[in-house]
Amino acid sequence: MRTVLSADEIRQLLPHRWPFLLLDRVIELDPGKAATGIKNVSVNEPYFQGHFPHEYIMPGVLIVEALAQLTAIVYCQGVLSEIAATSTSSQLETPVGPLVGKFDAKEPDVSDIQISSLVGYLVAIKAMKFKRPAVPGDQLVLKSRILSTFGILSQVSVTAHIRSEIAAEGVLIVSQRPANEGA
Amino acid sequence: MTLSYEETERLAIQRMELNRRIKAVLIERLGLDMSLDHLTDDQSLFGRGLGLDSIDALELVVGVEDMFNVSIYDGDMEVFGSVNKLADYIIDQLGGVPVL
Repeated sequence: MRTVLSADEIRQLLPHRWPFLLLDRVIELDPGKAATGIKNVSVNEPYFQGHFPHEYIMPGVLIVEALAQLTAIVYCQGVLSEIAATSTSSQLETPVGPLVGKFDAKEPDVSDIQISSLVGYLVAIKAMKFKRPAVPGDQLVLKSRILSTFGILSQVSVTAHIRSEIAAEGVLIVSQRPANEGA
Repeated sequence: MTLSYEETERLAIQRMELNRRIKAVLIERLGLDMSLDHLTDDQSLFGRGLGLDSIDALELVVGVEDMFNVSIYDGDMEVFGSVNKLADYIIDQLGGVPVL
């Protein structure tokens, strides 16, 4: 299985930490557009202690959270590739995109950017179906694809597969962090 | 350019039809609990009008794109002022009243 982003690299991009970092690996990535990621479900997950004491089932809302975290990766990588694009076309005095202005556009050093501070919020769960429970030992293959963006909001099509079966699918709306709240 | 009476009437009917279709998109996409007839052409959609919010705006952007193949961009917030403003924008983008 290819690794586009390892767990260590994901940690650089997302502000989430244990026990709430629900993305183990990114295996496909089209920055700003779509991604595929992996979440391995282990019996040691802290939520299994209560959900449920007699039957381990990963809460559906946490599958949604994992999908939202993957979506944040899509967005962050989109911003990073935008910064890379503006740095190569250095004749542009004012770089495009509202977020780029915060950084030194002439010497964009990706390592200096607190990219995780750009991650916004989950705004709406428009439609979500849970077709199969996720239990210890399952590997969730998460997919996220940006459908449409208006202002700072984006509508996103998401699915979570376990092998060939759909475990969850639906449409989320996520926001970028409003510009005045940035780091 | 002078339009004949028949042409004027035809355009007016097309415009009314367009407005009705926009209202149908509004009601369906936003899950509004109201009938077409209670949504007027000049009623404000956001704020104190229908009370829509930015999440609804995104929903409408997608709805208008699907229905009329017309894109609405970040700077075009004023097109959500009313059904008429949205209709004007669609006609402007398509170069005429879409024939339904």
